Amino acid sequence: MLKPRFKRPPADPALPQVWPVPGEVPEVWRGVAEAAGFRARPAEVLRLGPDRLLVGLGVPEEAGAAAVAALGSGPGAVPHVVVMAEGLAPAVVAGFIAGMALRAWRFDAHRTQGVAPGLERVTLLVADPAACRAAWAMAEPAVRGCLFARDLVAEPANHLTTRNFARRLEGLAEFGIHVDVLGRKRLARAGYGALLAVGGGAAHPPRLAVLRWRGSFDAPPVVFVGKGLVFDTGGISIKPAKGMEAMRADMAGAAACAGALLALALRGSPAPAAAVLAIAENATGADSYRPGDVLRTGSGRTVEVVDTDAEGRLVLADALHHAVRVLRPRAVVDAATLTGAIVTALGHHRAGLFGRDAALLAAVAAAGEAVGERVWPMPIGAAHRADLASDIADIRQCVPAGTGRLQPDASHAAAFLAEFVPEAVPWAHLDIAGVDTQARPHALGPAGATGFGARLLDRLVATQFEEPPEPPAGRA
Amino acid sequence: MPDIAFVKPALPRNGTLVLPLPEADSPWAGLFAEADAATGGALARALEAAGFKGRKGQATTLWAPGGGFTKIVAIGLGKPVDLTALAAEAAGGAMIPTLAQDREATVAADTLAPALVASLAMGALLRAWRFDRYRTKEKEEDKPKLERLAFATAEPTAAKQAFAPLRAIADGVFLTRELVSEPANILHPAEFAERCRGLEKLGVEVEVLGPKEMKRLGFGALLGVAQGSAQEPRMVVLQWKGAPKPRKGEAARKPLAFIGKGVTFDTGGISIKPAGGMEDMKWDMAGAGTVAGLMAALAGRRAKVDAIGLLGLVENMPSATAQRPGDVVKTYSGQTVEVINTDAEGRLVLADLLWYCQERFEPRCMIDLATLTGAIIVALGHEHAGLFANDEDLAQRILAAGQMVGEAAWRMPLGDAYDKALRSEIADMKNVGGRPGGAVTAAQFIQRFVNIKNGPMPWAHLDIAGTAWTSKDHPTIPKGATAWGVRLLDRLVADWDEA
Repeated sequence: MLKPRFKRPPADPALPQVWPVPGEVPEVWRGVAEAAGFRARPAEVLRLGPDRLLVGLGVPEEAGAAAVAALGSGPGAVPHVVVMAEGLAPAVVAGFIAGMALRAWRFDAHRTQGVAPGLERVTLLVADPAACRAAWAMAEPAVRGCLFARDLVAEPANHLTTRNFARRLEGLAEFGIHVDVLGRKRLARAGYGALLAVGGGAAHPPRLAVLRWRGSFDAPPVVFVGKGLVFDTGGISIKPAKGMEAMRADMAGAAACAGALLALALRGSPAPAAAVLAIAENATGADSYRPGDVLRTGSGRTVEVVDTDAEGRLVLADALHHAVRVLRPRAVVDAATLTGAIVTALGHHRAGLFGRDAALLAAVAAAGEAVGERVWPMPIGAAHRADLASDIADIRQCVPAGTGRLQPDASHAAAFLAEFVPEAVPWAHLDIAGVDTQARPHALGPAGATGFGARLLDRLVATQFEEPPEPPAGRA
Repeated sequence: MPDIAFVKPALPRNGTLVLPLPEADSPWAGLFAEADAATGGALARALEAAGFKGRKGQATTLWAPGGGFTKIVAIGLGKPVDLTALAAEAAGGAMIPTLAQDREATVAADTLAPALVASLAMGALLRAWRFDRYRTKEKEEDKPKLERLAFATAEPTAAKQAFAPLRAIADGVFLTRELVSEPANILHPAEFAERCRGLEKLGVEVEVLGPKEMKRLGFGALLGVAQGSAQEPRMVVLQWKGAPKPRKGEAARKPLAFIGKGVTFDTGGISIKPAGGMEDMKWDMAGAGTVAGLMAALAGRRAKVDAIGLLGLVENMPSATAQRPGDVVKTYSGQTVEVINTDAEGRLVLADLLWYCQERFEPRCMIDLATLTGAIIVALGHEHAGLFANDEDLAQRILAAGQMVGEAAWRMPLGDAYDKALRSEIADMKNVGGRPGGAVTAAQFIQRFVNIKNGPMPWAHLDIAGTAWTSKDHPTIPKGATAWGVRLLDRLVADWDEA
């Protein structure tokens, strides 16, 4: 990750300079800015000569990211720049660096040749280095959480097997996170038939990883639940070959939850929190589960399988049940690359937000807006649940495709998940299938894994869950 | 359809009696008690035995219950505190399937307030509608026979008064349902326009523009869609001028404008649709059908509002003269469009109409309705229409009106990130933005034809592809055309200008 250093001027004249421009273009450059049509709009960039970059400020994160994008990567990229940030408030400086670090992230683990160095260090010339250092200490954890998630999402499935995923999560213990990984035997004992069935066809066994952050007050935890399909072939209902390589990112929900927990730990959040991550590979194999199978979930509810490619909601059913029954949470937010339907609905710019607790939904939406991970509320209607009536089990997992009728599958999936969370538990579901990766560089990152959700969930905890809950009325 | 009558509360001596009964702690009173006495207590005992408690959705039919009745139908109204106009309508609708073989029936609504009696009647009427014009060999026993439904109420005059505007709205709904149900070989653009002329007798001003007039205006987008069909396109302009004269010193309120997509059949054109399910495309004119029904409702109840209805009527066909993918057309606004997919034709029609609407009428706001995208069905299903709006107040008015009448809409996003998907290499924009966010990019396209140069223009777009037609019976909507939007927009007008 990008390493910032804070110091007072002067700048080392040998290093290229980035000048954030908060409003008016400084006098010295006004003429050339005008000629170039540069008006310091948010994230607008003007290159002056080989070693000077002006960037309009707006949202500091986006400005920082825009500067890094303009500096470029590959041959000729500079490894070290100076940001002339004397006039900026410490929080703005921290945001600017966050954006730089997010945009400078790269995933070169599997390149052996021609790896060009990118931006590695940044020196910030500021009025008060101590204050800026403190502000960055508050902002850095979320960035690291996000990048931790991105690294996991980017990792191909032959490297990030279910076991390796669990091992990487166990590494979080060094930050004070308690990690417990349930293997096949414990899953069987708990009766998690849905997760076991989905993972049954693969050579790599399913896992349920439970990550806990104690926090500093005694209260039920806020729990993140993540879908962690390290690869999704679709199973017996196999996907078309075209584009299937993208399915290595089908664990992005679990990665985001883990990244968020890492962020909480790094900044020593007082909020008790946990993550329940359902890890499996949905493979076609001799022991794959079949369309038509009836599964018994951990909750005791039976599910008719219609389409083995709608596996995410199955593993989440057991993970949500675990979250609710074992962890007794204050609130539950799940994140999953769940449906193609959400992409048809909202494209690649917003995740779908479902749930039934208006206050929690509003808080999730606000947190997303604040960190640039945008969501949009979507419905769970009575008809969506009614569509899931099964003629053999308690519920069917989805509505059969290929009937020639278009199906609101994202809402169907959310209605399915709702069955596994008691009404009394505040719950929100994020369908991130459209935003887990981006085909092109975006405001806060290069093309590829976005880490969507990690920063959002961290912000959600910061704004909603860092005070102990009010004791229930009527009890002394 | 049955005649609806409101009569003084008196028990009929024979025939069919309908008892709408609430879920209440105290015993049922009024005509129920009289009927129970007439049957020697058999009625109460039979309902007890059937487990009928007056719960919402409960319906029990008792045959030959004594007291001279052929049949008594008990309909649950639910808890009295929950008995809204909508709940009463649903109960009224639920009566209808149980009365298919009765010529007449009396509904004992004597314990209900007049407004609720009117709602009960409205629900019954809406459910009783049927489109059987093309059934020539239906067996006598399969035909519904209900001719008269009499509501026994303590205040017949008040109930009748409350029912009068509802009746006008129902007629608007029926016009829409009929237009939407008609097959495309009957209802082509010229025929649709001709049927709109029927609104003149309600006091609606009707103008019909043909291809020549539209060509002179420069409706390149609409005409591009129409050019593949042997059926000529039409634009229908409907005006209802019901607003009272402004008081001295007050400016007149600008009219409300409603614009409907009226593709009388959509084959997809050269980008032809798959054959399976294509018959549904006869209702690709539901937006225009809804606007026509809305204008009928407003005029029928003499609404105190100035309203404009614009209908863009075309048929989208593949042929030697059809428009091709890659064609560039010039819209009435002057903006050019690269037609990538000829099956994204609705937005092309709306583009010309929206611009025209603003140029000619300078409305207070524009609301368009269109069966626009399959993507909105994937997004929301069939319970909600998609609502896109550039104006918060207008969006809230629509959502609120929908809640009141049981036509729910769900707000969907707009934004520059989506608009970028419409960039074209050759023209000002493409007519499609790809599968991701398909309903959103369609709305973005339409928004480009909302002219905000002379100040804000509140605009809302309702994508009704999932709600215009239903494959299931609902309490007040039989299977088929729903007329979704007529009641919502009527209510919007009532709350905005007539409150």
